[in-house]
Amino acid sequence: MGCGVTKSDQFHKQSGKAVTTIKAAVLIQRWYRQYVARTEMRRRYTWHIFQSIEYSGEQAQIKLYNFLGYLMDNFTPSSNERNLISHIFRENEVCRDAEWERYFSYENIEVPDIYSGPHLTFPLTVEQAFGLVEAFRNKKQLHSRYVLQLLLETWKLLRMLPNISRISTCHSKEITICGDLHGQLEDLLLIFYKNGMPSLENPYVFNGDFVDRGRDSIEILLILFSFLILYPGDVHLNRGNHEDHIVNLRYGFTKEVLTKYKLHGKRILKLLQKIFSWLPLATVIDQKVLVLHGGISDTTDLSILTRLDRHTYISALRPPKKRHMSSATASIDSDMDDDIWSANRMSQRRASLTYPKPIGTKECFHNRSLQDFSERIRANIEALEMCKRQVHAHAQAQDQAQAQAQTNSPISSSDVDSVSLSCESIRSYTAKDEWRQILDLLWSDPMTQDGCIPNEVRGGGCYWGPDITEDFLLRHNLQLIIRSHECKQDGYEFCHNRKVLTLFSASNYYDVGSNRGAYVKMGPDLVPLVFQYQASNMTRELTVRQSVGRTERSALKVLREQLFAHKSDLMSAFKKFDSDNTGFVPLNDWASAVESVMHLDLPWRMLRCQLVTCKTTSDGMIDYYEWFSELAIKGHKDTDHIDQSLLETLYRHRSTLETIFRMVDTDNSGFITIEDFRQTWKLLSVYLKMEITDEAISDIAVTIDSNQDGSIDIDEFMEAFRLTDKKSRLERGRSMFMVTATDLTKLEGDPNI
Amino acid sequence: MAPKKKEEPKPAAPAAPKPPEPEPPKVPEFDPTSVTLEFTPEQIEDFKDAFQLFDRTPTSEMKITYAQCGDLIRALGQNPTNAEIMHVLGKPKPEDMQTKMLDFDQFLPIHQHICRAKDRGTFEDFVEGLRVFDKEGNGTVMGAELRHVLATLGEKMREDEVEQLMQNQEDANGCINYEAFVKYLLSS
Repeated sequence: MGCGVTKSDQFHKQSGKAVTTIKAAVLIQRWYRQYVARTEMRRRYTWHIFQSIEYSGEQAQIKLYNFLGYLMDNFTPSSNERNLISHIFRENEVCRDAEWERYFSYENIEVPDIYSGPHLTFPLTVEQAFGLVEAFRNKKQLHSRYVLQLLLETWKLLRMLPNISRISTCHSKEITICGDLHGQLEDLLLIFYKNGMPSLENPYVFNGDFVDRGRDSIEILLILFSFLILYPGDVHLNRGNHEDHIVNLRYGFTKEVLTKYKLHGKRILKLLQKIFSWLPLATVIDQKVLVLHGGISDTTDLSILTRLDRHTYISALRPPKKRHMSSATASIDSDMDDDIWSANRMSQRRASLTYPKPIGTKECFHNRSLQDFSERIRANIEALEMCKRQVHAHAQAQDQAQAQAQTNSPISSSDVDSVSLSCESIRSYTAKDEWRQILDLLWSDPMTQDGCIPNEVRGGGCYWGPDITEDFLLRHNLQLIIRSHECKQDGYEFCHNRKVLTLFSASNYYDVGSNRGAYVKMGPDLVPLVFQYQASNMTRELTVRQSVGRTERSALKVLREQLFAHKSDLMSAFKKFDSDNTGFVPLNDWASAVESVMHLDLPWRMLRCQLVTCKTTSDGMIDYYEWFSELAIKGHKDTDHIDQSLLETLYRHRSTLETIFRMVDTDNSGFITIEDFRQTWKLLSVYLKMEITDEAISDIAVTIDSNQDGSIDIDEFMEAFRLTDKKSRLERGRSMFMVTATDLTKLEGDPNI
Repeated sequence: MAPKKKEEPKPAAPAAPKPPEPEPPKVPEFDPTSVTLEFTPEQIEDFKDAFQLFDRTPTSEMKITYAQCGDLIRALGQNPTNAEIMHVLGKPKPEDMQTKMLDFDQFLPIHQHICRAKDRGTFEDFVEGLRVFDKEGNGTVMGAELRHVLATLGEKMREDEVEQLMQNQEDANGCINYEAFVKYLLSS
């Protein structure tokens, strides 16, 4: 009998076991890495979906705006359509501040006894500011009287601030910089919780985009403004591209204010329009770090930006009227203005905003923008000459008019001065140049390659490269640019050799778990220290996998809706590939057709398994009729009698439709008349280049004006046609995905996650 | 006295001629031109889509960094080891990983090579691998042990990676039912 296992045998067995263990470990590790890579891929295309849709929405807004501007310039003064929208193009503001103060007066507004929200007295105290934060945390709403009062104080303060704030750090004072908040109060509260409230020892810079998309935009503004008033030397706000009433029409801020403040919303919005235009454009820290919302271009010049009159640019989407030349005659007689300037306006307005076009080569961009530029210069010079002549003529006419008629706004000496001053300044650079400076500042995005090309994805501003950054920093003796404007998964991202930092403070922006938010602290060493966070308890409990799964499902849902909304166009595109009318197309053709219609530049082949759940044939052909029936969105029972293709049009252009409604709703009441409603449709049909018969419109109008009082509630209309799905991701707001903790357990058993 | 015949000090090599240790097989450098592509056009289109998703050049130059290559191959369903990836990339230096780029045509032979590799590991292999750690033979492994192994052996994982993998997998006793675990991992 042997003594059993020999030592060497045992050794072999153990080493054998070690080998197996290692092999097992490697196997698991390999699989794990594969799983991570696949999850990352899903996260990427989900992100891509959301971002494409977001940017194409911005682009659509600009397109719409351009279109309406075109109408303004080309319709006769008496046409109905022009009347509908003329108010948004008219600078119907009076010069003098005293008149504005009267308009925004709050003294007559009574606060009822049952009001349980915070009361404010001015001058504001720190306790009141803290109280405001607390009240908003507890979902209270500030009474419109106090809102107007607070906004007025804010406006008075902002008017005294320069275009570019210059601040310094010192050893005891680190500056905190925050990016986009987009109405997400939770994130602001989280920042204050982690980093403390603003104070003399705790200065802050907020880098724009406080509003739109989230549901607490007004609360965020009120909090920021309170701290601004309390600590004007230590709280700094930069304007973002969403601090713009044209953009707000589409992205929810206008709606939020009108909903929360039914009686005084209009006044509040008007006052905010002015406040937005008075927000500073940028902040410079220790003369070395530039903080601004969007970015720069190859023509950005801080000295121009320092000198211009920022408040004349109410909307960054709108080139200036030559108002400072005609300020003497401004706006009570705006109609006269319209006719005189209309010829100029067309060339002004059109040239600078970039049009969405398929992205071509770098060379042709450069050529095109240079071409644009030289054309614009030419146009400017001509316009300049013409304006000078006309100002003169106009001033003369005004003198006469004044002599006879009783006008409400006699020309003050300061106005006359400003006219001649403006003529002076015009010689060095034009209003158009100034406007372009602001547009670039608020809308641009960085890119990895050198150069500067128009930002066709967003429709405004440009893409700028590392060489532009180098040059800019050198010219202005700066060392770092901190900007926001783009959502980043980790809340921040460095680029251009760490000379540009993107900071985004709205966590879970696209959906729960989609991204973290970040803020930055900076001391005298000017080294940015990044702090990240993610609002909502729930996200922490979700595993990465569940998070990605949810966001992915939500993105796909949005995508499916978009696809269905383009059904007719997709059908035609498919038919082109399927000339024999078999009802089937090969996968490649399906992908090409879809991209040619949707223009979202998404990886359709990859998404195919998620989007096309009906069976494909064995040779990979897709039955597109079946696909559409699986995508179909059920209509509302009341709308069954309405033509399907019309419904589809409504659905596809719902954001545009809603935006036009809100533009037409001149008094911001949330209601428009039936007649205006009809006119809106006419407008839309011209814009979309499609036939919408009067009958079809009447059908819709009748359906929706259920109480037959001649007016239509915009929100009701949108909801009745399922055009705003409360749960839709396109309209930001809390969705059904924001489930409570108990529901989370349901998710865990969900095999689809 | 006759001097004891000293045995010659044995040389390092054992007395009996030891079979020469097999030299580590000289792995030839990876030569992309030697790879014949067998993908169907359909597959190539699919790869293109995925490639584009990883392409971070703003004008879609269809290029990815070396560092992304491994992720892309894995995202397409393969599960090579890091060593295998390094091999097909031509053993690049660490600093090259973020800077050197690959275009789609360079990527294809690399991907093809990985796809051809044997011993990919099936569900059963995976379960067998885990069974090694099943001390009691009851279908579970100790979470703690698994974590330790993954972080110290083979192509070590970082702590946060291990945490991510094992998140919510252990039961109250810290054990993991490994068949379920594998199903979960493979079903992403």
